[in-house]
Amino acid sequence: MRRFITLPLLFLALLNYAAPAMAEPVVVVNARSSVTQLSQDEVVNIFLGRYRRFPGGGAATPIDQPEGNPLRAEFYRKLVNKDLDQINAYWSRLIFSGKTLPPKSAENAAEVLRLLSANPGGIAYIERNLLDSRFRIVMELR
Amino acid sequence: MKTTRDYSHMPVQSPACRPYQPLLNLHLLIKSAAGGLPLSSSLAVLCLAVLCLAVLCLTASSPLRAEDNPSNAVKPAVSWHGFGTLGLTRTDNDNAEFVRDLSQPSGAGKSWTAKIDSLLGIQANIDFSPNTEAVVQVVSRFHADGSHDPELTWAFLRHDFSPDFSLRAGRLGTEFYMLGDSRLVGYSNLALRPPPDFYGSLVFSYIDGLDVSTTLPVAGGLLRGKLFGGLSPEDTPYGPGTTWNQHGSLLVGGYLDFLDGAWQVRLSHAQVRFNHEAPTDEFLRLLGDPLSGTPYLSLIPDMAIADHWARFSSLGVVYDQGPLNIQFMLNQIKQDSPAYSDSKAGYVQVAYRFRSVTPYLGISRSLTSREPLPNSIIPVPGLDSITESLVSQSYLDQHTYTLGGRWDVHKNMALKAQVDWVRGTPASLFLFKNPQPGWDGDMTVFSLALDFVF
Repeated sequence: MRRFITLPLLFLALLNYAAPAMAEPVVVVNARSSVTQLSQDEVVNIFLGRYRRFPGGGAATPIDQPEGNPLRAEFYRKLVNKDLDQINAYWSRLIFSGKTLPPKSAENAAEVLRLLSANPGGIAYIERNLLDSRFRIVMELR
Repeated sequence: MKTTRDYSHMPVQSPACRPYQPLLNLHLLIKSAAGGLPLSSSLAVLCLAVLCLAVLCLTASSPLRAEDNPSNAVKPAVSWHGFGTLGLTRTDNDNAEFVRDLSQPSGAGKSWTAKIDSLLGIQANIDFSPNTEAVVQVVSRFHADGSHDPELTWAFLRHDFSPDFSLRAGRLGTEFYMLGDSRLVGYSNLALRPPPDFYGSLVFSYIDGLDVSTTLPVAGGLLRGKLFGGLSPEDTPYGPGTTWNQHGSLLVGGYLDFLDGAWQVRLSHAQVRFNHEAPTDEFLRLLGDPLSGTPYLSLIPDMAIADHWARFSSLGVVYDQGPLNIQFMLNQIKQDSPAYSDSKAGYVQVAYRFRSVTPYLGISRSLTSREPLPNSIIPVPGLDSITESLVSQSYLDQHTYTLGGRWDVHKNMALKAQVDWVRGTPASLFLFKNPQPGWDGDMTVFSLALDFVF
């Protein structure tokens, strides 16, 4: 009988363990910004450097998670259905033809929060559970 | 046509093939960056320096800047970037040499060569402020003079007056067609090289000049426009061992882009006014001096090309959705001088990514039209066939089937393999070097490449 309980528990524990890898990024701006909602296309334009302005006209400064953070791969997968190799190839075209530079990469997840809270025009993607009153969700990624 | 043959299929005058040595050229890269630059490059650098100062003065007093750097200790941040390709190419045919584009004076035959696609580029980005940046890029590749001597491909100062309006001044890559300004960055492209049918006749890689670009949200998408103008600092290979001086040729153009979701559509136009005559007499001397030293243009001045325009118009459509990438492009080149034929070209490329492997398929086509040839001012026996043979150097009538794959083996590194089947008429000579009498217009090209960025 005991075995029947422990097995599902173990399974649950494993699921729980795997949860951080299945992180759910949300797109947030600084709470001092007047932006309340962004469409997926608008977020694509800002993060891929096509047009870095918010709908109201203010300049948008995107902040990327560090390269090793699985949230980064998850974000681009959900945003444009591309993996990081494809995103790197995209940016190498723009870098070597002297165009827009990629978003600034933070050193770690905590620095993303620090940079965003210091910059009213900033925009980032973070794990939902790191959300606090300094930030506002402007887009959910499904 | 029979007499044409003798001239159009040039004698073998292939310059000695040099081994590929980009790494050995690294010291040259550094040397040229440090001051061993040719005159035109020095001029570009000088212009840059002046512009740097001007923009710095303008931005130093801006309140935005003070806010961004509260300490006021302004130190330009320099970041280094690089890209390169190690490539191997061979064909099934020794009757003509395959080149990547007409900036290469000789090409690949039946034995493997690394010179077609291998290259190394190094770039420094210097940030003076969040809105002002200088970029300097040097590339070593097999080019016009048959060497791998490093070239200054980009050296400009950019100022973003707003997030959607930028001005760049200095040495700038040309963007006649969509993706045209990143032709050398193999890692950024899916296929091993840009289709020669479409991009191969493009010999202008950069200008010393200016460009402005702007972006506007329109109808749920983005409208982006760019205008550029400047002078060429380059040379173009002409006949075997001869180059056509393009220094001072004027290049102007622009494009309109519409981006919406996965779609990008571009209309573009660019034109060139040649500053120098093509080295026709030098070329004729190589063919046995049929005019015994009489300058060719003195007999047939209508064949002049200096001060004449070539006009390049194109349409590009890209659909890029997740793993699927489709490119479709058309172009038309109109030459004011009868010395070169007008041409049309197009290609379609479809790629689909399965995990880290992206197979792709392509088909391309290029075709020139034949116009009546100009007459000589005095009748000279054999002159018409010489004219015919000169113009026939630019004939094209071929299509190419391409099958290849890209494998992203590692971060910032991709391996590619590609086969191209060129099917053309024997008169389709323009995109090949040193065609022999046995040339029938058909060629299969095998290529391998390792592309990387760092």
